Amino acid sequence: MAETAIGSGIVSSTPAARMATPHSGNFLPRFVAGLAILTAWELVVRAAAPGYVAKPTTVVLAIPRVITDPAFLQAFGSTLMAVAEGLAITLVTGTIIGLAMGRSDTVDRVIRVYINGFNAMPMIIVLPLFSLWFGYSSGARIATIIFAAIFAITMNVADGARSVPREYLEVARSFRSRRLRTLTEIVLPASMPYLLAGFRLAAGRALIGAVVAEFFLSIGGLGYYILYNSRSYHHNEAFVGVLLLAAFGVGFELLVNWSTRRFMPWYRRDEKIS
Amino acid sequence: MTDVNQAIRRYAPFWVSILAGIALWEIAGRSTSKAFMVPFSGTLVRLWQLVSRGEFLTQLYDSAQLFLTGFLLALFIGAPLGLLLARVRILRIGIEPYLMILYATPMVALIPFILSMMGFGFAPKVLVVFLFTVFPIVYNTVEGARSIKPELIEVAKSYRSTEWSLWREVMVPYTLPYMMTGVRQAIGRALVGMIAAEFFLSSTGLGQLIMGASQDFDTAGVFACILVIGLIGVGLTRLGLNIERHFARWRQ
Repeated sequence: MAETAIGSGIVSSTPAARMATPHSGNFLPRFVAGLAILTAWELVVRAAAPGYVAKPTTVVLAIPRVITDPAFLQAFGSTLMAVAEGLAITLVTGTIIGLAMGRSDTVDRVIRVYINGFNAMPMIIVLPLFSLWFGYSSGARIATIIFAAIFAITMNVADGARSVPREYLEVARSFRSRRLRTLTEIVLPASMPYLLAGFRLAAGRALIGAVVAEFFLSIGGLGYYILYNSRSYHHNEAFVGVLLLAAFGVGFELLVNWSTRRFMPWYRRDEKIS
Repeated sequence: MTDVNQAIRRYAPFWVSILAGIALWEIAGRSTSKAFMVPFSGTLVRLWQLVSRGEFLTQLYDSAQLFLTGFLLALFIGAPLGLLLARVRILRIGIEPYLMILYATPMVALIPFILSMMGFGFAPKVLVVFLFTVFPIVYNTVEGARSIKPELIEVAKSYRSTEWSLWREVMVPYTLPYMMTGVRQAIGRALVGMIAAEFFLSSTGLGQLIMGASQDFDTAGVFACILVIGLIGVGLTRLGLNIERHFARWRQ
């Protein structure tokens, strides 16, 4: 159980949640530390590395150039669409499988071994197989994204569906609610916090899956943009791509946190923060 | 007798499910083209060929070396760093947001930079595994440090505890369970890092084996590698969970 996001995410507070909590006294040390890191990076690169290596000043100068570059925008759009499409498919199928696992012991017994097993597998290992199956195409990228993300969602939804309070189900049964209705109107909403935690995990993995697939298969996208530019010694341009990916990662965290708070105010994930 | 019955009841679904999966795999493999999917039996035969030619074990050894070097480096740098951040509050407040950003950044994106700056060789690959591994360890250690009740440190201080014994008797025992959560997460990530490094930097180890098989359209070889790496993944995850659970008893 502990390998789901719950163990490390929801119960304890998440990093993004903490960053979002306002602490007026924290700004100064954070600012100073950030400045120190950037200065150190700049100085080390200037002193020891060849001119093409990315450093803060040149990366900042590259930002306007990169974000107006149509090639970059196209690459960005392509990756974004693939991740969105993959995540949408994952969310629907993963939730259905997860609900089935959580509410039916038979289903759980039959497929849990496989879900756990695939989840423990380093996901990028399937790339050579997917390149054989789907060719060097964007189909292989979608498949990689789905494979990378689906097990996180399934496991979390299954845990969530299993932890629905018994009383809810008893009430539903005494009102003769049909099975499907109980599932969609009671089990699903009750396992929402788990689903969101799974989604946070899955989104990160989907992003990694997309980038790795683009590296491996040489399909156009943000990952390939980074690969191509760093190969041709345009490190600054490539690094803007990395910044965007990092922003994505952080953005997903913040989004999930925000929606947990907004739509599930009863679910206090930040209780532990001192 | 009842023990045996209980054991059967407990493990039977697991084995039935495994056997059913293997049967399904076998049928699917036999009814599709050989280039697309290889049945379970064919995969085992190919695996045995790879093992008996000695190729497999040398590659496994290469991969294990990379995994362990990167992982241990991350542990021996990440854990003390985490503890230091835990103890020096101002440092923690300052650095934590950046740690979190690095924790959320897909590290694979840095591989092309590492490639063009450090080239091929063992060191850049170790760096990749290290980068994949170190942040969960540091991050969770810091997380653990938050859980230390300030009163404990105050009591220790009012008894004029030295810095050393404060670390030994309060800091380390309190943060260790959290650190082990980090270790568990790090094991999984290190495995991904290892394969990614072997794919995209100089090709060695199990990564090379599977890529070579894929380039030769040797589907059986690809399946054999995926099977073995998958099992390694499951084994290491189990190990990580056990380590975490062992230390979790300390956590109240």
